[in-house]
Amino acid sequence: MNRELAKDIILSLLIVLSQLLIFNHINLFGTVNPFIYVSLFILYKTTYNKTFLILYGFLVGLIIDLSLQTYGTHTLASITVCYLRERIVKYSFGVNSILPLAMIRGTQLTNRVTYFLIIIFLHSFIYFSLIFFNFEFTLTIFLYTLINSIVNFIVIWIVSKLIFEKQK
Amino acid sequence: MQSIINSIVKNRNLIIYLFLSFVTFNYLYNNSSVHYSGFGKVGTFISGSTSSIYSYINSYFNLRQENNKLIEENLELKKIESQFFDISDTKDISNSKIDKTISAKVIFNSINKNKNIIVINKGEFNGITREMGVISSRGVVGIIKNITGNYSSIVSLLNTDLKINAILKNSSTIGSISWNGLDPRIVQLNDIPLSSSIKVGDTIVTGGMSFYFPRGIPIGTIEDYNNTSLEGYYSIDVLIFSDFSSLSNLYILERTDNDEIKSLLNE
Repeated sequence: MNRELAKDIILSLLIVLSQLLIFNHINLFGTVNPFIYVSLFILYKTTYNKTFLILYGFLVGLIIDLSLQTYGTHTLASITVCYLRERIVKYSFGVNSILPLAMIRGTQLTNRVTYFLIIIFLHSFIYFSLIFFNFEFTLTIFLYTLINSIVNFIVIWIVSKLIFEKQK
Repeated sequence: MQSIINSIVKNRNLIIYLFLSFVTFNYLYNNSSVHYSGFGKVGTFISGSTSSIYSYINSYFNLRQENNKLIEENLELKKIESQFFDISDTKDISNSKIDKTISAKVIFNSINKNKNIIVINKGEFNGITREMGVISSRGVVGIIKNITGNYSSIVSLLNTDLKINAILKNSSTIGSISWNGLDPRIVQLNDIPLSSSIKVGDTIVTGGMSFYFPRGIPIGTIEDYNNTSLEGYYSIDVLIFSDFSSLSNLYILERTDNDEIKSLLNE
């Protein structure tokens, strides 16, 4: 168990570092910046402490915010996603939500895709709403959210596959 | 106590989430000008709308005070107005001054008789004497007739006994206003010779050749006239400015030179 936890911590550090060093500098189509760190909240095991997840989200979000000079927008999106994750897990997987890695195996593919998409979309939506922070830009917010969600989904899906395929 | 702790423990996720959101919003608010002005707009909207609701409700409780304030203000304006008249009419025969105006409230009023009387809540103790002129904010109302300590009665313009000196504002032709006892909105202007030109809509003001009113206080406008009289005078109907059916605040004009003129006449 401890070994598994240590592995998860190292993995988290790696993902945060890759976000800071690589993905922060990628700017697809001038608007899309993949938020790979969201995979941390997606892949957080369902058996781990739920209260800690919120603090964890706050910490990670804060690091990203400090590095990108975004003044709390990532943090707020992250803690909201972390707070609502329990409900999203239950909604997506139903009875299977007790599986520690329900988002990776043991559940149907459609459920997993739904779960990924809800979290990614929610995170992007909150993030862009806070960035624009104006009702006049509602359409732009939705457009950015949509594009960003699609790219994020692809990136995070691939990353999760890479991590857990290797572990197998 | 136990249940409070239990509910806190049960909702710890929500509490932590709200606390961290607050911290983050605070961080956003203090560091980002976009969010600062955004929150500022929301704040202004909330405070603006709540305080306007508050003041809307509160204004109802202050109506009486507000009313009194307006009356006082009107008094001041009347004073200034009278000064203005004095300056512009220095060549006039009646070079009289209004030294003081006293405000009063109507406590009895009638318009359906042919000798209508108005009673007001100011009397001898407030400095009111007989034969003072009474006006409303819109024009002439009448003349003080009887006074007691705290009350006075006014011979209304709608009283067949009253005759007031009046002139056509444009041509200064002198006539006199009286009422025939029929329509409470219409009084009659007499003694205007057929030689003078008048038209419907001309304004009638006080002439100043009496002890009651200084020159230039509005009375009404010409509603209709008839020039078929054999006596050589028009018979003119004047629509009065003051609405006698809804009088509430009146102003009593105090003229200091009345005694002087009276003593001159008596000699």
